[in-house]
Amino acid sequence: MPIYAPTLPPAPDLHQGQPPFLVLMRFDFTRLWRQKIGRFFSFGFLLLLLVKVGWIYVKFLLQTNPALKGVEELARTVISQGPEFQAKLLDPATYLLWFLVALVGGGLVARDTLYRVRPLMYAHPVSPKDYLLAKLGFASLLPFLVLLPFAILPWLLSLLLAGLHGPVWATVPLRLLPAMAISSALMGSLAVGASSMAATPRAGIGWVLGLVLGSSTLASMIHGLTGITAVDALNPIMLAETWPQLLVGMDHPLVAWLPAVLGTAFHISLWTFVAARRTRPSEAVI
Amino acid sequence: MISLNRASLRYGPILGLSPTSFELPDGGGITGLLGPNGAGKSSLLQLLSGLLPPSGGEVRVFGEAPFRNPAVLARLGLVPEGDRLPTGLRADRWLRMMGELSGLSGEALNAAVASALATVGMADRAHLTFTRMSKGMRQRIRLAQALMHGPELLILDEPFNGLDPEARLTLMALLRSLAEKGTRILVSSHILGEIAQLTDRILLLFRGRLLAEGSVTEIRQLLDRHPVELRLTGEAQVLARWAVEQPELAALRVEDGAVVISVRSPREILPRLQKAAAEGGIPLQALDPLDLNLDAVFQYLTKDHA
Repeated sequence: MPIYAPTLPPAPDLHQGQPPFLVLMRFDFTRLWRQKIGRFFSFGFLLLLLVKVGWIYVKFLLQTNPALKGVEELARTVISQGPEFQAKLLDPATYLLWFLVALVGGGLVARDTLYRVRPLMYAHPVSPKDYLLAKLGFASLLPFLVLLPFAILPWLLSLLLAGLHGPVWATVPLRLLPAMAISSALMGSLAVGASSMAATPRAGIGWVLGLVLGSSTLASMIHGLTGITAVDALNPIMLAETWPQLLVGMDHPLVAWLPAVLGTAFHISLWTFVAARRTRPSEAVI
Repeated sequence: MISLNRASLRYGPILGLSPTSFELPDGGGITGLLGPNGAGKSSLLQLLSGLLPPSGGEVRVFGEAPFRNPAVLARLGLVPEGDRLPTGLRADRWLRMMGELSGLSGEALNAAVASALATVGMADRAHLTFTRMSKGMRQRIRLAQALMHGPELLILDEPFNGLDPEARLTLMALLRSLAEKGTRILVSSHILGEIAQLTDRILLLFRGRLLAEGSVTEIRQLLDRHPVELRLTGEAQVLARWAVEQPELAALRVEDGAVVISVRSPREILPRLQKAAAEGGIPLQALDPLDLNLDAVFQYLTKDHA
């Protein structure tokens, strides 16, 4: 009787799941949600959101309640309802968001570097593009999703309470959503670029904070020395704050249109390039 | 299954792997990739697992170039060196993610995770976080992630590093059982004994060059310039008298109740020895090759190429 070499059982049916970048992004989101830091920031942003929504309601009362007519004039001077108010719907969430991006995004690539996870992933049908897309997608989508209720809920509440004449413009989502997308892409690319240069998650946090604060300080110094305001476009904090101002049409935004476009493009392309270089398979030595 | 045709790998000015050629056939079995640190083992494994393209020559796995080739990557499993995995993560959740990266989903994914965990003996401990696992357990989880998609080729880089003897034996038994079921396994190590226990088929690398390929005995036979030491146990004086008449004898020493002879071309002297013993010409009680082991082979080969 002939002896046959053993044969493997049929391999499971592959190519039926989601694209790898979506799998990785989903994994990072669920992981963050399960961590204490995810719950802590969710609680923090929820509190901020309640304050914002409460503020809209106060404004509505000031406008409609006859008993409060006396303080309405005062309120009008204290609380602007023009473009500034619309742009500030995202404040101070943007500042807190930088900390979230630093704490979460800082470890995004660095953790995989420390634990040598990338060679494992690249040995599956995952390309470096998939990996980079997943990390950039997560780091950019996170701030966007956090900011989303800050733009949508006050707008909805204002529409419900006062229709088109409420304190929040009816067109605010059309203006704030693109601004949030640009600011989030800026934050995400910077976080992923910084994280890719770090060897540990903690170092990644340091890199993000160092890059954000360092470039801000540098821009402020050059601005102070030369008086050229366009240099502020190097400051990522200022850029993230500027985009809502530009898109709601504020008269005096922190950074003008052209420097803001150039500065944002510079940061996004530079940090995406750095991340792409640092996550190549040749960097993922086994 | 694997063929290298003068494949080389450079890291800038540094040569990681000199032009190397060899072939591994289809079907199951274990091949050991042996060499000291810096010999080029990891470079070779990176070429085979598609992490890097060759700087020169050609690498073929399943008949195709493996670099960034999903068709090849879907058929191989890689267990890189090291036992560290992200802290705080539950093993089963991480495994599911890795399975999804291979294209598994739904019931197929559930079945693959359960099967891989059962194979590595971690089915009841997969809910633990990596922080709470021992090195051996983490190594088994790393092996499970490479097994989920049913690979035909399994590549392991230094899988026994840091494992205690019991975990090492368990892992060896597991690899043997996978090989018996038809998986081709390529395992690297710089520990000679580990490879010798696991397999007889060896690729010997040293300073980025493939020194030898084959079984320990085959490789040893290539080394005619190095005499083989044989211990002949029996009446020492009679055995010594017989040995000095042999033209292949290079050296001889008498020990208590035995003679140790160094001979060139053992293939020629051994049949004569066997015949003489069978005919009662020499009182031979036992024959032990003293340096037909991997340590000796390795030392000889590396000494020649140093």
